Amino acid sequence: MDFNFPAEDDPRRMELRAWFADNPAPTPQQLADRGLSTPNWPEPWGLAADTELMLIIDDEFARAGVSQPKKYNPIALNQCGQSLLTWGTQAQRDRFLPPALANKERWCMLFSEPSGGSDLGSLRTVARRDGDEYVINGRKIWNSAADKCQIGVLIARTNSAVPKHKGLSTFIIEMNTPGITVNPIVDMTGEENEYNEVLLEDVRVPVDARIGDEGSGWRITMEQLQTERQSMTQPGTVWGAGPTARELVDGLIQTGRIADPLIRDEAARLYIEGEILRLLSMRSLSNKINGKPSGIEGNAGKMVASPHGQKLSELAKRSQGVAGMVKNTDVLPLPNKNYGLFNNWDYTYWFSPATTLGVGTQEVLKNTIAERVLGLPRENDDTVGVPFKDIDISY
Amino acid sequence: MDFTLNDEHEALRDSARRFLDAEASIAPLLIPGATAETSDYVGLWKKVTELGWQGMIIPESYGGLGMDYVDLIMIVGEIGRTLAPLPFFGNLAGTLAVLAGGSEDQKSELLAEVAAGNSTLAFAIADEGGSYSSNGNDVLATQANGGYLLTGKRGFVVDCATANKVVVPAKLDGNLEFFIVDTAQSQVNSELVEWRDITRQVSAVAFDGAKAERLEGKNAATVWPFVRDRLYLVLAAESAAGTQAALDDAVAYAKERVAFGKPIGSFQAIKHQLAEITGQVGCAIVASQYAAWALSVNDDKAPMAAAMAQSYASEAYRDATYRNIQVFGAIGFTWEMKNHLYYKRARCNAELLGPPAQQREEVMRMLEQQAA
Repeated sequence: MDFNFPAEDDPRRMELRAWFADNPAPTPQQLADRGLSTPNWPEPWGLAADTELMLIIDDEFARAGVSQPKKYNPIALNQCGQSLLTWGTQAQRDRFLPPALANKERWCMLFSEPSGGSDLGSLRTVARRDGDEYVINGRKIWNSAADKCQIGVLIARTNSAVPKHKGLSTFIIEMNTPGITVNPIVDMTGEENEYNEVLLEDVRVPVDARIGDEGSGWRITMEQLQTERQSMTQPGTVWGAGPTARELVDGLIQTGRIADPLIRDEAARLYIEGEILRLLSMRSLSNKINGKPSGIEGNAGKMVASPHGQKLSELAKRSQGVAGMVKNTDVLPLPNKNYGLFNNWDYTYWFSPATTLGVGTQEVLKNTIAERVLGLPRENDDTVGVPFKDIDISY
Repeated sequence: MDFTLNDEHEALRDSARRFLDAEASIAPLLIPGATAETSDYVGLWKKVTELGWQGMIIPESYGGLGMDYVDLIMIVGEIGRTLAPLPFFGNLAGTLAVLAGGSEDQKSELLAEVAAGNSTLAFAIADEGGSYSSNGNDVLATQANGGYLLTGKRGFVVDCATANKVVVPAKLDGNLEFFIVDTAQSQVNSELVEWRDITRQVSAVAFDGAKAERLEGKNAATVWPFVRDRLYLVLAAESAAGTQAALDDAVAYAKERVAFGKPIGSFQAIKHQLAEITGQVGCAIVASQYAAWALSVNDDKAPMAAAMAQSYASEAYRDATYRNIQVFGAIGFTWEMKNHLYYKRARCNAELLGPPAQQREEVMRMLEQQAA
């Protein structure tokens, strides 16, 4: 056991540092050419970096003050792009990956629907085969950044004669395809929208827009969501990103608010929880390196991390008293400005209710942990074994 | 860099598990009327000393096994998981105090006897009210016939009843010094208190002109911080393993107990609570392992890591054992079931060295110092 990070004079570190010195403000294309958009992917897309090298790369991006491409194009570079490596065809890889890696095309997920997100298997969007094409009809919702994305990863029903989880397929589609309408949703923060509604009306896509076999959509989607949850076992306020407990405590010390005994004890408690989340994500890395099964870091990690983030922004906000109820950006000093929309505690706070909803609600996550990790009996879902067409969806 | 246990750690843990599953029993404690004297405290300790656990962290140069704190918590975790009644904790506290406070000669002599299984130690650091910050105020040392005599009282001394020698901080001419006292003399009166956790023996001790030897190491002020950080770790590791045990026990029961026609573990009211505890178990374990590593390599962050682990793990243990009793229902509230032993261990672990809020305050002071 050794909790030390790779040394400061590690040759892999020095090499990267030299590259960043020569390229202090690299373009996404330069990063892609150097393999730094998706370093964990195999060549030619990435560097086939092991998890230790990934840690070094994260460090060196931070040291160079450069944002990582996976932060501004996460669906392509983290959650879904790897599905093309595993399940896609060479033609799909050649078409979709280079522009994604160079941030010329951003991707969104088209998963949840108005009738339900937690019970994703019951989705109603239909992709009907018509010769060399599929014709897609349905409505998707809660699609992060869909209004700014060129590519969508969609899950739709291709067969309603089989039970609900078995009749789904995954597609990769161009968002400017006729029949797609994206409507931004103004969320409760009132700020720039995160979420969208996406309408699909007789959208025709070629058969080779399908990733993997017909009927393999559920498996592919679960892989994507699991990857997403793992990336969220981090100490940040919002899904593993955003300000951390370290920054909260710094801010409370700087402003002197740490002297309030009610704030002080909770700040210490959250600091400890944040450090433990760091340790969990480190452990998850080592488990990968050692080829061991991941521990609780996936689902259970997100279960801890999401409320942790909510408590952080709640304490930041609470430390300000009634003044915090006025729209403002300076709840607490926050020198690090690499968090995009979450560069201030005020927006972070008003956004925070979403963090126990996205990627499956906290309650569904707890069911998953209870059933998959603890082996408790599964919730009865009377619709599981029934052909989808026989399920009453009139509600 | 490897943030996980290696195969040797796991092998050590597994061998401790096999030994304690075969040899340690809390069954006698589940008979109503049982006290801390009911279990086979000394008998189990005798078997343990044959394995050398008492000498794990004693350097090889003093006759010990010279293992590190990650190794130590493999054993401690199993003791925590089984609630094995034995004077491991108290002896370890005394051992750490000698390591921190003794001269080379004293360490060689005293620790070799411990490692050989001939002597068992304890550490009388808390005052009668349970404060650890009295700095030896309530025991006075005087010089007499080339030696020292101690007079005063100490509380909450773990495993004093089975110790041959007890380490005691005392004031000598207004200065804090550490002494070692033979418990066999009539000037030492140790009496078991009715400590709620009857898997541990805890005493109040009175010294009435007891003969003592001064520990002659360099800096008495560093002894308690050294011992405290390591005892935080030990309690945290016990608590983390106990949290896992309480969870496993509740999960097994929830799968088996049927109500309203199905196992109660199929109800979300039960599932969600146990999922919460699952998260806490993972956090408590990684926090205690990190603290063990940090102490083993003398990392700068070790004191903070130890305080963080103790604060987090003791509260997780409390939550898990409370939940465990609730999942069992009223049967979990009876003396014959082991649930209460874990609950009491959890509560006592959270108070023994000061409450979790105290450790959080210590963490915050370290953070403020860093920021300054």
